[in-house]
Amino acid sequence: MESPAQTARADTDPIVEVRNLQTAFYTDKEVIRAVDGVSFDLTPGETVGIVGESGSGKSVTARSMMGLVDNPGVILAGSSIRFTHLETVREFATKFSRRTVDVEELEAEHDVRSLLERPGIDVTPAQLGYDSVESMTIADLLAAGYGDQLGLTDGDDCVFITEQSSGEVVDGFIEITRLEGKPQRAMRGGKIAMVFQDPLTSLNPVYTVGNQIKEALRLHQDLSGRAATKEAISLLEAVGIPDSRRRVAEYPHQFSGGMRQRAVIAMALACDPEVLICDEPTTALDVTIQAQILELLEELQEKRDLAIMFITHDMGVIAEVADRVNVMYAGETVETADVHTLFANPKHPYTEGLLQSIPGRQEGDRLQTIEGNVPTPNEPPTFCRFAPRCPKAFESCDSVHPVSVPVESGVDDHTAACLLYPEDVSEIDRIERHSETQSTEGEH
Amino acid sequence: MSRWRYFFQRVLLSIPILFLVMTVIFVILRMGPLDPVAAMLGPEASGVQAAEIRENMGLNEPLWRQYIDYMFNLVTFNFGQSYVIQSGRSVNTLIAIYAPRTIWLGFWAVLLPLFIGIPLGFYAGLNPNSWGDYIASFSGIVWLAMPNFWLAIMLLAVLRRTQGGGFLGFDWYTIGPEVRSLIGTPPLDFIGFEEWQSLGMVPMPSGFYFDGGTLAVAIKVILPAAVVLGSASMASELRIGRTAILETINSNYVETAKAKGLSGRVILWKHVFRNALIPLVPIITNEALLLLGGSVIVEVIFGINGLGRLFFFSATQGDLPLAGALIFIFTLITISLNILQDFLYTILDPRVGYEQ
Repeated sequence: MESPAQTARADTDPIVEVRNLQTAFYTDKEVIRAVDGVSFDLTPGETVGIVGESGSGKSVTARSMMGLVDNPGVILAGSSIRFTHLETVREFATKFSRRTVDVEELEAEHDVRSLLERPGIDVTPAQLGYDSVESMTIADLLAAGYGDQLGLTDGDDCVFITEQSSGEVVDGFIEITRLEGKPQRAMRGGKIAMVFQDPLTSLNPVYTVGNQIKEALRLHQDLSGRAATKEAISLLEAVGIPDSRRRVAEYPHQFSGGMRQRAVIAMALACDPEVLICDEPTTALDVTIQAQILELLEELQEKRDLAIMFITHDMGVIAEVADRVNVMYAGETVETADVHTLFANPKHPYTEGLLQSIPGRQEGDRLQTIEGNVPTPNEPPTFCRFAPRCPKAFESCDSVHPVSVPVESGVDDHTAACLLYPEDVSEIDRIERHSETQSTEGEH
Repeated sequence: MSRWRYFFQRVLLSIPILFLVMTVIFVILRMGPLDPVAAMLGPEASGVQAAEIRENMGLNEPLWRQYIDYMFNLVTFNFGQSYVIQSGRSVNTLIAIYAPRTIWLGFWAVLLPLFIGIPLGFYAGLNPNSWGDYIASFSGIVWLAMPNFWLAIMLLAVLRRTQGGGFLGFDWYTIGPEVRSLIGTPPLDFIGFEEWQSLGMVPMPSGFYFDGGTLAVAIKVILPAAVVLGSASMASELRIGRTAILETINSNYVETAKAKGLSGRVILWKHVFRNALIPLVPIITNEALLLLGGSVIVEVIFGINGLGRLFFFSATQGDLPLAGALIFIFTLITISLNILQDFLYTILDPRVGYEQ
C-alpha cells in the first residue's frame, strides 16, 4: 500500500510534464518549427485546453506526446515530455528493466556543471528553459536527450528513476520523447490515449466497431473472447450508445457521426488510460452533438480521474471544458492562465483578438477579426511572431523575441509572452528582461 | 444481411444478361453475312446436296422455331457438331480437348501478376519515393507500354538466341526440364485418372497418376506465353496496388490504430492490406477478362492449340456452331468473373450494397 503522503502527491502533482518541446519538420526548402519551445503540465482530473488558429502547432504538440510525429518531422534535442505516473513508472521499470536508468547512481558520480562543461556538449541551461545551472538536475539533462552524448545512457533507455527507498521506486519518470518499440506501444493507448478530429474516418470501415474496441482490450488488458466482447459492450454503454449489445457487432458506416465519435472515445478508454488527448474531437460535429460529447468527456473525467488535454480552435468550447488554457501561436505558447482569468482578463494581444472574434462579444455590428494569417515558423525567432498582426506592436517587437513572463510581478500562474509584460515594470526594464533570456539563447 | 441480399440480387441479374447475349449471338450468326452451307461446301454450293443440308440443319424452319431450338440447345450445353474445322465432331468434344490448354495458360497468366505485380506494388507503396519504388514504378510503366504481340515476338527471339549458351549466359532449352521447342502446346497429361468406380450411379475416380516431370515441362512451356499475356495486368496491378497502399496508409484509421498501440505488423496486415485490396478486386477480375481476348493473339504466336486459336479459326472459316458455342462459353466466363468480383467485394467490404 502507498503511504498517505504518496497518495496526496499523486493527486496534486502533474502526471505529464512537457518541457521545452520542439518539433521541427525538415523539408527540402526549409525547416518548419511547428512546435517551438512549449511547456505545460497535465494533472489528473484536470483539463488543459490548447487553443489557437490553424497552423499554430496544436496538433503537432499532441502528436509529439503520442510519438506519432512521422518523417520528416523530428522532436529536437532539448525537448522533454515526462510521464510521472508512479504506478506506471514502477510497471515499466520492472517490465523494461534493461531500459531503466538509476539517476541517483549517476548523480553520485557526476554533477551538472562539469557535465555541461565537457567538450562537445553544446547546450546551455537557458536553451532548455532553466534559469541557471543550479536549478538543473542530471535528470533534466538526461530527459532532454543529452545522456547519450555524455555516455550516461543508451539510445533506448527511457525509464528514469530518480528516487528509490529499499528497492521500491519512489520517484521517477518515463521520457516519452525517447520511447520506441515495445514500451512506446505500451504507452500509446495503454497510458495515453487519443481521440482524433474526424470521427467519420478514424474508424476502419471494414471491421466492426466491437472488433476495433476488442483489439485495444486484447493489447493492453489481456482480454479476449467473450470477456472482451462483454467489456466492449459495457464501454459502449458507458459512452452513451443505446442498444450497445447490437451495436457492438455493427460496422462504422452504420453509426452516425456523433455515435462514431462516442465509439472512438470508447476505444480510447478501452485500455483505461491516465491521459486522454482530444484533438478537436467536436469540430466535425454539429453543436447539439458537440454539447453531448463535451458533457460525456466531463463525466468520464470525473469517474476515471483522467488528465485531459483538449485541443480546439473554438473559444466557446474552451470556456466549457478547460480548467487551464494555453494559447498557442506559430508554435509557441503566448499566454497561459486558468480559464476564468483568461476570459475575464486576457493579457496577450492575440488572446484579446481571439476573444473579440467570438460572435456576440464584439462592439458594434461587425465581428472583429485578426487580420492576416499565422506565419509559418521557418526560422529561429528573433522577433515577436505575432508582431505583424498585432494592434499594439511597437518598435522593439521586431527585434526582441518575447519570452513567457508573469503578467504581473508576483502572479505565477498567468504568463504571457509579450513585451508589454510584466505590466508593472517600466518598458526599458521589460525589454531588457525579454532580451536577456534571448541573448543567452542566441549564443548558439 | 443487406450485403448478402445485394450479392444475390447481382447473381439473379446476370440471368437476363445471359439471355440477351445468347439472342445477340443468334442474330449475328443466323442473320449475318455467313451462309453455313456455303461455309461447308464452298462458295459454289448449290443444287440438291445444298438443299438437303439446309433441310437437315433446320434452316428452312421458321425463324422463331430456330431461335427456340437454338436457345434450348445452348442452355442444355448441347452445342451440336462442328461444320468446318473438324467436320462431324461434336463441339463438346472439341472444347474438352482445347479448353484445358487455355485454362492452363490463363491460370499462369493470372497467377504471375497476382504474385509478382501486387507484392511489388505493395512494396513500392510501403516505401514511397525510395529507389525500390522508382524502379518498380518505372518498370511498371514500361511493362504496360509494351503490346502483347510485340513483347511475345521479342521474348521468343531472345530465348531462341540462348540455345547452346548465348549472350545471356544460360540456355533456356536445357535449364530445368529440357524442351525441344519454344512454342507449342504444353503437355497436360501430367495428372489423370486411371480407374473409375461406380458409386451407386455416380462414377468416382479411384486411382490417379501424377507425373512431376511432365508438370515441369508443362510449366516451362507455358511460362513465356503466360509472362507475355500477364505483363499488362502485372503492371496495372503494381500501379494500383501502390496507390491503394499509399492511400490507406495515410488514412485516419491507420493513425487511430497506431495511437491504440498496435504493432506495425498488425496495422499492416489487419488494417492496411484488407482496405488496399478493395480497389484491386475489379482490376484483377477485369484483367482476367482481358486475358480471354488477349489469349487469341498469344496462342497464335506461341502455337498453343487452345480455345483462343480455335475461336479465331472457327470465326474466320464460318464454323457457326463452334463459334457460337465459344462465344457462349466466353460469356459464361465473363458473367461468372463478375459474380466472383461481387462475391469478393461482399466479403472484403461491409459497406457494399448499403445504400438502397
